[in-house]
Amino acid sequence: MDSQHLNPSSLKSRFTARFLRALIKINAQKPISSSSPRDIFQRYRRIKVAADKSMAYSVRSRRTWSRATLWKLRSRSRRRLASSGRRLSIKTRTTTTTTTTTTSTNHRAAIVEKTSHEKENKEDHVGLAVQAEELRELVPGGESMDLCNLLDETAHYIKCLTTQVQVMKKIANLYSLE
Amino acid sequence: MADFSAQSYRQPFPFLDIDPTMESLTQFAELNPQSFILDNSAFNFQTFFPLSINDSLLSNQASQGETMSGFIHNSNQSSVSAQPIFSAKTEVEEISNKRKALDILESSSGNSSSSSPQVSETGIKRRNNSGKGKRAKSNEKEMEKPKEVVHVRARRGQATDSHSLAERVRRGKINERLRCLQDIVPGCYKTMGMALMLDEIINYVQSLQNQVEFLSMKLTAASTYYDFNSESDAMERMQREKAEEAKELERLMREGYVGIGGVACFHSSSTYGPL
Repeated sequence: MDSQHLNPSSLKSRFTARFLRALIKINAQKPISSSSPRDIFQRYRRIKVAADKSMAYSVRSRRTWSRATLWKLRSRSRRRLASSGRRLSIKTRTTTTTTTTTTSTNHRAAIVEKTSHEKENKEDHVGLAVQAEELRELVPGGESMDLCNLLDETAHYIKCLTTQVQVMKKIANLYSLE
Repeated sequence: MADFSAQSYRQPFPFLDIDPTMESLTQFAELNPQSFILDNSAFNFQTFFPLSINDSLLSNQASQGETMSGFIHNSNQSSVSAQPIFSAKTEVEEISNKRKALDILESSSGNSSSSSPQVSETGIKRRNNSGKGKRAKSNEKEMEKPKEVVHVRARRGQATDSHSLAERVRRGKINERLRCLQDIVPGCYKTMGMALMLDEIINYVQSLQNQVEFLSMKLTAASTYYDFNSESDAMERMQREKAEEAKELERLMREGYVGIGGVACFHSSSTYGPL
């Protein structure tokens, strides 16, 4: 009836569009005849990475966790490219190393600075240090934040995760029925 | 419970009646000159205090009332000696009673005075109120929420150095954020402490991440059996997906559920009939 309910610039629609495009790309790359466990596992990895990446892109690095996710994914892909082949990797590496070295040094400096600061804070809330540590492990990019910002990031991260789960459920239902 | 509190009140009595009297004496010494600008207030004190005291004493424990009546008889001579009575009550009551009595006093004296020095009186009254208000507030233990970053009041009996103030502000921020998270995460009750809520939040985030993994596995399984042909197909699919989402959202909202997979599954199966 009213299909104008969808806000085209909402997080959900951005993520849906991006994720669907990524899925199409993945399906176009691999031939469907491959059914070996390794290929299936690889495909699963790619889809998962695509889901996380498209979510992080939809948030567009406005949040610490999205920046950390994108940085992790990029560094991982770069390492994989560097280890496996050198055909395309050289060009990509030279262009991106300059930017990423600065970001990586900034990131590491931020981590060092903030962990020293946050160690003082940890002593104030002794009872919560354990859970704060666990939360930091769960939320990407949470290692270098004090508890206050960590809770902020957690709230936004939970909201994005729920949208992700909703959209992926619907897509999976679509596929499983056809 | 009542016995325990009665006992705890009875024992420290011999010590309490000395110290609070000194305290309240000093407080009264500060307050009295201010409020005594308008005269014959000593008499008003006497008449007003016992009235308010008797009401509160009747509501308190009965055992205290017995000992208190003894005190009241002794203290009827002077206004200052009404203080030993305050040792029995809690400090909040005492200060609220004091404030009430002083307000009554102020209003009565304001009414009784003549109309000619009206302006100056109101000026004095305002100054009195502000002075008394500031002092009473600094002495009170009432809950004052720290407003913003800068304006944090130091409560009575707490350190006022900048570190503890900043610490208190920080704790307030953390509590506020935890309350927001409480609304988002299902299964968090207001009565739970901070540690329990953090546990719940951690569980919820873990379960969401597991759900994402499981769904991506499902998608790989579904997509291995499905055939993607062309871009136009993809665009159609995207549009269909969006329409599907809208319809499902509507239907879910109508049924009162939000984002439940089973219902969505059922609905989409029915829409694929005519296709």
